[in-house]
Amino acid sequence: MTLRRHKALYHIGATLLAVLIMMPFFWMISTSLKSRGALLALPIEWFPQAPTLDNYFRLFSLDGFSNSIFNSLVVSFFSVAVTLISSAMAAFAFSKLEFRGRNALFMVYLATMMIPSQVLFIPLYLLMSEFRLADSLISLILPTVFKAFAIFMLRQQMLSIPKAYMESPAIDGAGLWTTFIRIICPMCKPGFATLSVICFMDTWNDYLLPLVMLTTKTKFTMPIILNSLNGQYQSEYNLLMAGALMSMVPILLLYAAAQKYFVSGLQVGGIKG
Amino acid sequence: MKTRLMALLLVALLALTLAGCASDSPSPSPGNNNNNNNNNNQTPAAPPADEPITLRLEQFSGSGGNEDTLKEMLSKFNVIHPNITVELQTFGYDDYFTQLQTKVVGGNAADVFELNFENFVSYASEGVLLDIGGRIGDTSGFNQTALDAFNYQGRQYGVPNSFSNVVLIYNKDLFDRAGEAYPTSAWTWAEMLAAAKSIRALDSSIFGLYRPISFHEFYKGVRQNGGSLMTDDMRQFTVNLPQNAETLETMIGWVNDSNVMPNDAQMGGMGDWDLFVSGRLGMIVTGIWAFGHYTENCDFAWDIAVEPGNTGKATHFFSNAYVVNNETKHPEAAAALVAFLAGSREATSIRVAASWELPPVTYSDILDAYLAISPPANRSAVFESLNYLCTPPVVKQQSEMQDIIAKHLGNALSGSMSAQDALDACQQELEQKINLN
Amino acid sequence: MKRLKSKHSFISALPFLAPSLAGLILFSLIPILASLAISVTGWSGMSRVSLFNGFFAFVQTHFIGLTNYLDIFSDGEVWRVLSHNAYFIILYLPLMLLLSLLVASILHHKSRAAGKYRVMYYIPVLTSWVAGALIWKWLLSPEYGLVNNILAFFGVDGPLWLQSEVWAMPSIVLASVWKDMGFYGMILLAGLTGINPEYYDAADIDGANRWRKYTRVTLPMLSPILFYVIMLSLINAFQLFPQIMIMTKNGDAGPNGATMVMVERIYKYAFRYGRMGYAAAYSWILFIVIFSFTALQNILQKRWVHYDS
Repeated sequence: MTLRRHKALYHIGATLLAVLIMMPFFWMISTSLKSRGALLALPIEWFPQAPTLDNYFRLFSLDGFSNSIFNSLVVSFFSVAVTLISSAMAAFAFSKLEFRGRNALFMVYLATMMIPSQVLFIPLYLLMSEFRLADSLISLILPTVFKAFAIFMLRQQMLSIPKAYMESPAIDGAGLWTTFIRIICPMCKPGFATLSVICFMDTWNDYLLPLVMLTTKTKFTMPIILNSLNGQYQSEYNLLMAGALMSMVPILLLYAAAQKYFVSGLQVGGIKG
Repeated sequence: MKTRLMALLLVALLALTLAGCASDSPSPSPGNNNNNNNNNNQTPAAPPADEPITLRLEQFSGSGGNEDTLKEMLSKFNVIHPNITVELQTFGYDDYFTQLQTKVVGGNAADVFELNFENFVSYASEGVLLDIGGRIGDTSGFNQTALDAFNYQGRQYGVPNSFSNVVLIYNKDLFDRAGEAYPTSAWTWAEMLAAAKSIRALDSSIFGLYRPISFHEFYKGVRQNGGSLMTDDMRQFTVNLPQNAETLETMIGWVNDSNVMPNDAQMGGMGDWDLFVSGRLGMIVTGIWAFGHYTENCDFAWDIAVEPGNTGKATHFFSNAYVVNNETKHPEAAAALVAFLAGSREATSIRVAASWELPPVTYSDILDAYLAISPPANRSAVFESLNYLCTPPVVKQQSEMQDIIAKHLGNALSGSMSAQDALDACQQELEQKINLN
Repeated sequence: MKRLKSKHSFISALPFLAPSLAGLILFSLIPILASLAISVTGWSGMSRVSLFNGFFAFVQTHFIGLTNYLDIFSDGEVWRVLSHNAYFIILYLPLMLLLSLLVASILHHKSRAAGKYRVMYYIPVLTSWVAGALIWKWLLSPEYGLVNNILAFFGVDGPLWLQSEVWAMPSIVLASVWKDMGFYGMILLAGLTGINPEYYDAADIDGANRWRKYTRVTLPMLSPILFYVIMLSLINAFQLFPQIMIMTKNGDAGPNGATMVMVERIYKYAFRYGRMGYAAAYSWILFIVIFSFTALQNILQKRWVHYDS
């Protein structure tokens, strides 16, 4: 009896929280289907009385919108790849190799997380200009080669792999690479999955860095286009909400695909902190 | 923990040594550090007219539907200069200036770009812009106030391309219902307030007047009341003059005392234009760029008048200018493009036909074409208003100054301090933060 | 930490470190040094500069020593701005911790529905701040927004939210908690699943009730993760910005500057007010604040964080 009551209570609480969390999305979708008139109707229409897909058609006819989805996908995809490879290598060195200065170096890596990134944008832009990479998608991808958070997370996961795996065959030169690629990496799949989602999300959603780096409209990423819509169509929330929804689709798909690895990955990532 | 501190010290140390290395690097190369240089004036005459040239043009005012209008102007430009290809890029206003800044810093700015009045002095004083005074030909056809706005220390760094001033727009139907006579150019604040009160009395959801307590409305308001925000030589702030405090009190009174103007709660997140279009607002002081929107969306009769003043008349204007990058390889072609877009008969008549603000010129045939469009019937009030133009205070830290003033105006409006106290505090903060040298 | 016996030489580790080390130097250390140099100049950030070509001469021409730092402290604005950051944290942190603990507890429950809840709770995390902030701006619209209309349904006259000096910051907090609780909830969930069930068995034998088990076993065992979450969220809270930039109209930082925060100031000084040197100095002050808090946290943790070893 008490068990059943507990169960009911649990579901009521959990559902209530879910409803609260999902409410903004309901409002977003509802608004995106409204016409301009319905938008400012009082009392408000909870569900659009005359739903229309016009906002979506308009969105995709706007200069640069479809292009920006493609750009965001390219940047996000390559950023994830670069981050995963580089971070896994660094994490391997920090967790499985015992060299002098390891801990100090790792602390330097971590300390960079505390610096507000906004202040580094102009120097970073100057740097990219020197390399003639400013205003290219590469200028967004390259910096992800160093991501302290990712290295930290993968290191935690690798630390949980027993030492015995390292003490197999020969531990020198090519031996290390073999161990890394054949043994350690396959064991970190959950970490990679989690990191993929987090890194993809970071890049997909990043606003300020691309705003500073990219100056040609055809190269803009999604958040820049979305916020410039905000500037140009200030009170046209129906259009803005359609844009917001569209900006969420790819990341939701990726999340759905990586979902099953997700919790276990975060678990190893967080627990030994 | 100790290791962590050690590591951070290490970073700091590393930073210092690297900084040392960087400082030893060779001294600047030519073409770098071109602050205040004007040596582009010495570049040889324009290249031969048939040499193919590509110019980059970046701007924000021609976004949305106006981009097509701009493209039309550019195609006319190509008829005259077939050798010049113009690569046009249009940006939204919000992001334009952040991006412009990085481009200028990195040396990637376009040959010709657009600046608004607020940002003009900042860039002009940094030596980023080219003095095009001698390259744009005869400028007598320009509205001199607009042209002078983009003259910095005797150098013509920019040419205004668009120009819009502010007028009083009123809802004729509401005036009829309230039995009030329509505004005339002879009106002062007193007549405006009287009419606003009787319109306000029509219904609890109807308001008489909208004129925001903003930086722009305030600097113009104090002019209408015999005050000013700065001395004429722009060397000193005079924000807390008694007549300025009186102006602010009056403006706030429209909201808080007579409530002819809605407060934030009464606006309920609605835009001021929306309020007018919905037929619930008697008068609004706003820019002439509203004409198109109102013509399309108002289902009642409306017209305009010169905005009422108090002891004197004053109206303000907004203007954007095209400027030329100091580092452009084609100064002559760039200046020609600027002059054409801003002041040529071809471009300005296209602008008028598209109802895209007002061209900054005084050609009567083109302005007649502008006057012929109705509503508003009393379009000549747009030109009459030009007689009372006043220029806002101009400082290098323009945006910062505007934000500071707006913040203190907000304090007075919210009632947390008196108008005089708010302006005293404002004066003090401006003196402390804004460098007038 | 114990000193390592170097089993491997640095040379053998170098190939693995090379990409990230190059990234660290190029994209982190060099910009950091450049920004330190800029912070002692009066540079506007509106003129041409080259990083490798005459950067030193550039710094020399604009050099003004520590003026920027001294100005920031003599101005007094920085205290007001920091107090806004503090106010945000005071409202945000307890609410966020409470809700993410709730999220974690719900998801920890062995129930078939937990998977569905997990997906739903995590969606705000996946939403970009540009999109999320736009959604909240519209939700909180006083007249047409969903929130005030729901409140009106219960007979409550909702505030002006983002347009009210009092409610502007709570509005930002609301949106931020909504956006972040799934993320931190998920990390806490990982902590919950990591607690050794033997502790609960022991508590059962002692006859402890649910509440007692929660306070005596769950929370202490969770404390390392809680600590980690607090650290991470504090660092992020000091750097709060995109939601403010989009939700409160660009340029006015909320009514009477109610949502002026550190990074918002840095952005304004750098990209709106033409004072890049000042902005750089501002961000170093922010770094020192964050660093001190992190250090303080590290010292205080010994009093409440329970390490299981």
